[in-house]
Order: sequence, then C-alpha cells, then structure tokens
Amino acid sequence: MKNPAHLLPSTRREFLQYGAKGVGLLAFSRFAPGFLVESAYAQAPAPEKDRTILVLVQLAGGNDGLNTVVPFADPNYRRLRPTLGLPEDQLLKLDDSFALNGGCIAMHQLFKDGKLGIVQNVGYPNPNRSHFRSTEIWETASASNEFLPTGWLGRYFDNACGGTPEGGDPCGVSISNEVPQSFLSEHQHPTFSLAAGRNNGRQRSENLALLEQMVHTPGVHDDDNAGYLRHTMMDALVTEKKFQKVLGNYQTKANYPGTPFAGSLRNVAALIAAGTATRVYYVSLGGFDTHNNQVNTHANLLKQLSEGLAAFQADLEEKKLDGQVLTMTFSEFGRRPSENESRGTDHGTAAPLFVLGSKIKSGLHGTAPNLDVARNQDLTYTTDFRAVYSTVLDQWLGCKSSAILGADYKPLGFI
Amino acid sequence: MGQSENKIGATEAWQPLPPAEWDEAAARHLLQRTGFTATPAELARALRDGPAQTVERYFTAMPALPKPRQIADLEADSPELFRRINNGTPEEKRQAGQEAREQSREAQFDLTIKWLQLAGRPENSATEKWLLFLSDVWVVGGEKVRSSAFLYQHLDILRRGALGSAVSLAKAVSRSPAMILYLDLQQSQPKAPNENFARELFELFTLGEGNYTENDIKQAARAFTGYRQREGSFIFAPRQHDTGDKTIFGQTGPFSGDEVIDLVFQQKAAGTFLPKEMARFYLTESPLPAEYTEALGNWWAGEGYDLRKLAVKFFTSRLFFAPAYRAGFIKSPIQFYLGLVQDLQLSVVPLPRQLLGALRSMGQMPFDPPNVRGWVGGRSWINSATLAVRRQVIQALLSPINEGALNGDEQIDLAAAYADGVTNFTLDDARLAEWARLPAAERARSLVRRYVPDLAGTELEREVAAFLERGAQRGPAEAATRAALATLLESPSYQLC
Repeated sequence: MKNPAHLLPSTRREFLQYGAKGVGLLAFSRFAPGFLVESAYAQAPAPEKDRTILVLVQLAGGNDGLNTVVPFADPNYRRLRPTLGLPEDQLLKLDDSFALNGGCIAMHQLFKDGKLGIVQNVGYPNPNRSHFRSTEIWETASASNEFLPTGWLGRYFDNACGGTPEGGDPCGVSISNEVPQSFLSEHQHPTFSLAAGRNNGRQRSENLALLEQMVHTPGVHDDDNAGYLRHTMMDALVTEKKFQKVLGNYQTKANYPGTPFAGSLRNVAALIAAGTATRVYYVSLGGFDTHNNQVNTHANLLKQLSEGLAAFQADLEEKKLDGQVLTMTFSEFGRRPSENESRGTDHGTAAPLFVLGSKIKSGLHGTAPNLDVARNQDLTYTTDFRAVYSTVLDQWLGCKSSAILGADYKPLGFI
Repeated sequence: MGQSENKIGATEAWQPLPPAEWDEAAARHLLQRTGFTATPAELARALRDGPAQTVERYFTAMPALPKPRQIADLEADSPELFRRINNGTPEEKRQAGQEAREQSREAQFDLTIKWLQLAGRPENSATEKWLLFLSDVWVVGGEKVRSSAFLYQHLDILRRGALGSAVSLAKAVSRSPAMILYLDLQQSQPKAPNENFARELFELFTLGEGNYTENDIKQAARAFTGYRQREGSFIFAPRQHDTGDKTIFGQTGPFSGDEVIDLVFQQKAAGTFLPKEMARFYLTESPLPAEYTEALGNWWAGEGYDLRKLAVKFFTSRLFFAPAYRAGFIKSPIQFYLGLVQDLQLSVVPLPRQLLGALRSMGQMPFDPPNVRGWVGGRSWINSATLAVRRQVIQALLSPINEGALNGDEQIDLAAAYADGVTNFTLDDARLAEWARLPAAERARSLVRRYVPDLAGTELEREVAAFLERGAQRGPAEAATRAALATLLESPSYQLC
C-alpha cells in the first residue's frame, strides 16, 4: 500500500516501537493494547511453536454416515437404501465389510497409508434432530437435555490459555461464516475469524488499510468507549495484518483443488507453517443436508472434503509439520438409515467421523452401527462424541478432559 | 463526565430541550437512543416535528405482536405434553419432557424472529426497544421457565402495561406464570415462603439495593404465598396464602401481594430506580448524579408512576441531549443488527440458525439475558470474538444469501418469505449500482455522511474517495462501493451511537 504513514505495524515489535515514538495509537489512546497488558501479568507462556494442533472440520447439515462409510456387506444396507445404496463396484473398500464412498479416492489413499482413522457410529443419548440444537449439543459438548453457555473448545481455552499465546496470537482461529459456538468461553480469549476460502487477499488488504485509517480518525466525540473500541479493533487488525502477510506470501508444492474448503485448509497450513502459536483451528464445509437426489451431491461434497484433506496432509508433510497436527471431522447428526421418497435422507442420529494425521492410529475404531432397524427407525450410537473429545483433549492437546467435559470418558484408541 | 451538564440544575435538567438546540445532531441522538438508528426519512420527519411531537408519536401505543404460530401450536400441544410428563412411565416422561423442551425452543426462535421483524420497522423501534428495556428489568430466564409460551405471555404482560402505570405493571408481572416459575413463587408456602421473588422485586425490579431490609424481604415473601400458575394461567390458592400480619417498611397489616407492591411504590427509591435503569440502558454507563434522578423520581411519583409520561419526560429533556451523552454509547448487538437492517433498508431474515446464532455469538439473544440482572452492556459487548461476528453479520447483509449452503428447513423458510413477497434480506445490486454511478468523491461523501456521520468532513472522506477510485481502476465500481460500505460499517464509529 502507498500511504505508509497510516500503515499499522504488522508485528508486535513494530507496534511497540511505533508506540514508543508516540506516533501510534498509544499516543492518543489511554488504553494499552491487550497484548501489552496481558504480557505484563501472564506467566511466561511455554514455547508454543512445536505443540500439538487440532484442526476441527465441521460438516454442516448432517452428513449421511451410511453412504460415507458404507457397510456394503450387510444386506440391511440394500434393504434400507433401495435406490441410494451405492453399487459395490463404485466403492473404495476398507475391508471385507466396509468401504468409502466413491468420492473419497484421496481419503482412501490416506487410509491405506495409515493416516486416516474412522470412529464409527458416534452420537449421544436421546438424540436431537434439529440442526440448530444438535449442532449446539456437539459444539457445547452437552447432554441432549442440558444447555451450556460455553463451547467445548472455549472451555479448553479457559483451562489452557491463561495468558495470550506467544506473540499475541489467537487461541483459536475459525474459518467459517459464523464464529463457532465451540469457541464461546467464560473468560475472554483472543480468537480470530478468517473468511472462508483462499486468501481474499488484495481486496481485504485494501479494506484493512481503510479500516486502519478509520481507527486512526477520531470522531468528533472521542471518549472512553471510542478509545476502547479502537484499541480492541487495533488488536484484531494487528493479528489480521500479520495473517494476511502470512497467507499472501505462502508457498506450497501441495496441489490444493480450487474449492473454498481447500482454500481454507491451505490458509490453516500457511498459519501453522508460519509458526503461529494458535493450537485450535475450525473450518466449516456446508451443504450436507441432503433431503433429495443426494447421490451426486453427497459424492461431490465428500470429494471436496477428501481432496482438501489430502492436499492439506501432503502440505504438512512437505513442511515436516504433519506430526504436530490432528484433523478431525464432525457433523451435527447422521441421516436416517431408510432413504426417503425423494431419493434423499432425512435427519438421523449417529454417524462416523474421520481423524487424520501422521500420529494417529488408522483403521476403524469403535463398533459399526446395528442396521437391523425398522423402516424409519434411527441408528443407536455406540460411541459417545464426548469420548472422542476427551481422547483429543487428554491425549492430543494435553489438557485434562474432565475439567472441560464435566465427566470422565473412556479414551478411544485413535491416538 | 463532561462539564456541560454540570451547569444544568436538577430541575432544569428535566425541562424540555430548548427549540434552539434542536438540530440534526440532536435528532440523530434521539432516534438512535430511543430506536436502533436514524434513517434519513425518520430524521427528516423528526427534525420537522421537533422532539416533543416525535417522542409523543413514538410512545403513543405499543404495537401488537400477534401470537406466533409455533407459540400457538405449543400452547395447543401443552396439555397433552403435560399429561404425558405427569402420568407416563419414566421413559415416557423423559421422552415427553424432551419433546416439550424442543418444541418450546423452536417456538422461542419463531417468537424471537417475529419480534425482530416487528422491531425492525422504524415506526415500531422506540416502543419495541422500550419493551426490550422493560424485559431487561423484569427479567425471566428461558431455562427455568421451560415453556416459551409463558415467555410470550410474559412479554405480552409487559407490552400491555408498558405505557401505563408502573404500579399496575408490577402487579401484573407478579402474576406472570413465567415469573412465578422463574423466581419460585410456585413452590412458596406459608410454612416455607420462598424469598426469591420478594428479593428480586425489591433489589432488581423496583427499589435497588440498600432500600429495604432482609426482614422486609422475609415478610414480603409471606404476602406472595398462594401465587401459582397452572398450565400457563395465574391462580391464587387462598389456602396457600399467609393471611397473617406482616411488617414491611415499618408498616404492619395482613398485606396481600398487591398491597406489598403499593407499599413499594410509597418508597422514595421507587421513583429513582427505573430512571436510573433507563439512564443505564439508554444513555450512559456511568450513573447519573443523584440530584438528577431524585428530581425526576419526585416528579414521576407525583405523576402516579406513569411509564409513558416518564419516557416522554426523559427523552425530551435537556439532560438527555447533554453533550456528555452524545455519541459515546456502544451499540448492543440487537441495536447493531436492527440498526444495520434499517440503515441498509433490509428485512429481518427468517433464518434462526444464522440470525439468532449471530446474536448469541455477539452476546445478546433477545429476551434471554444471562441472569436475573439482565445484560451488563457497554464495553462488555466488545471483544475480539464479538467484533469478528459483527463483521460477519455485515458481510452476510452485503452479499447474496448462499442458498446452496442452507439446510432444507431453512430453504423452506426462505421460500415462504419469498412467496410473501419479502426478498430484501441482503443489499440488492440495484441500490449498489445506483451509488456506483456517483463520482467517487460524491459517493464517498454520501457514504460517510450516511453511515458514520461523526466522521463527516474529516480527512476520511478523501481516503474513502481514493479507495473507491483505486477500486474502480481494477474492477466494477459496485465491488469497491460494497467494500467501502463494509469497512465503514466495521469501523469503531459505527459501533457507537
């Protein structure tokens, strides 16, 4: 950008120098930026750079588990899915009983390479079939009759993020059109949201420059609240500028497809590769609410998922960061085993989820659903989603899960 | 605290604003504080009419909020659900309980969206913000109330009493089934009076801390024994009512609940309590000087605690327009959202997941404050996460809805709205194109004056113009206009009113 006089510093160090010269925000705001205040009292944070990282992938809308991990050998499958049942020759076999949807070629390879694990039939007691409510249950890790004001990752931040991470980086980054409920916390933590898709680069940089200008232009009624807003916004802008730079300069040999989802994952890889101290990323892929003519739609969604994840994994491997990252999918519910009259499926209950990474134990975990169900009857879950969370919290993020989930769950074997 | 209002005496403070001080900035202040924003049309009319006539017009009558369909369905289904909850096997009870909760929640979303739609119309904004204010005083929490049909009823009680006597309103609210459940009157018995309602009645609804004793609470709790609700109707159970003498605020008698409320409004603090709450909700985070609230309280008590008169007095007063209270107030999430909708001339989108999800993430789900104290407000609305959501809300309103990413039920809701002829949920390209035809400098000036008027005439106008010009060299002027607009709406200035 031209006009360097108005440019914000893009690192904390520059910011401090700026402030010391009296030309930065500190000159007219009596509010010191949060990272200054916090670094003054936070215990020296441990080096974050080589810590483990969780990437959570939301499959919004309710992913059809039975056509994702297909129990092709079970005759019930054909009975329940007379038109939607996928022909065996189009499936990607995992063993003699289960196969991945034909859209999952790249994930099938990851499975064969020992990097993809599948936790089968994950759900919770007394399932709720509303998108809104069931998403909330998954994101807050509540029981189905319990309403929690905070998300499970927000509670993780509360427990694990005493001070701001190194360099003032956010505790969590979401790449989604909505700030995930998972991030809601009791205490304040820096979190950050990026628009979905690949870097929206130039336009956003220009917007940022204008926004900086606005942050620097005191209105006629400048007062405490205005100062507070400016300071909070400055903090976010410093992070965003830093991220923009990282994303704009990112080089990778990995072959990301052109989908927004893959673009989002590319951005996550870029931030991880830049040594960002953030330990939790949240990416959303929508469109899984397949009520009608679902076969192609669903296969395409899975293809997006599969190719995005594979490129992400390849990228991390190339950068030798793959050992640090665990990626996990979730969806608010699976879909009804019986197909509906519109060649689609209605809201259901339990479904498999994927875990991906070089350190995970691949293969099928947990037990498969019992398909011996009546028409329009739902599956009964066999693995509680909170057991999956507890495994991730205890064994990957190194944070005691009972403090976050309010109970102990038996760890699963995928890590 | 600024200096200018210190020059005003306590009596003068509540005198009407002198006509000479009525200008565009004053009108904008009035509209933004009583409602959600100041649209050009409302601003022009208010400027013409003057403050008294404008406030009188805004507070003439509360608009009706017809019972939302899902609330009606919930009421119709409730007897059967209650029967199953009360009489079934444990498994059936559990099942019925869950069904009841789910249905109630869905109905609450329906109610909330219908309210946002009502409040979003500029002519209703002042009264609906007033209702929101009253609901932030007379709080009931969704969790404990269980049925959103009771919440609707509670809001209806507030709505019907909103412009009448505060004494009558307090009596009506003490009979609200939602309140009876929320503050445990249902369980209160002569042998063990539950003090929860009596305590909050004094502390959070009418008097404020320091204006009653623990014994006043204990005695008052006895007076409200026998207040019950059954399936959403108030009933008085005489045999559960303690008819004995009670001593409250130094007076002794066999007081009923209503008589306790009459006693409450004989206390000096009853006059100042609501004005203080109004100041906090509408005007400033720092408390008003006591001499001002006392003067207003004395006057208000003399007017029979008429809420409409209080609103008119407050919003037309010199103090309300004092320079110290201009433009430094952080917009609540509801004000931010509904203000945007009005500023961009949009309709409230009937999509609970997106809309209510965003309001919740910004920290303010309508009629569902975090606890009995209501929302803290002010700076507590702003942190890195809530600012990010504000930005996403702006983006969502400035870009077409991605219908492919909607769930099935959302597509149905949207199709129903389209069928009703409501389509303006996001900024339409024609309006953008209209702007885009203006030369960059003129466009910049009109955008800044329209959306961040406190920055009008500053260097920023030139920056925006330069931004628009750079954008036009690269692509369509619409895209640059959209980006400039988004940025202005993200700015600190737009978060303030």
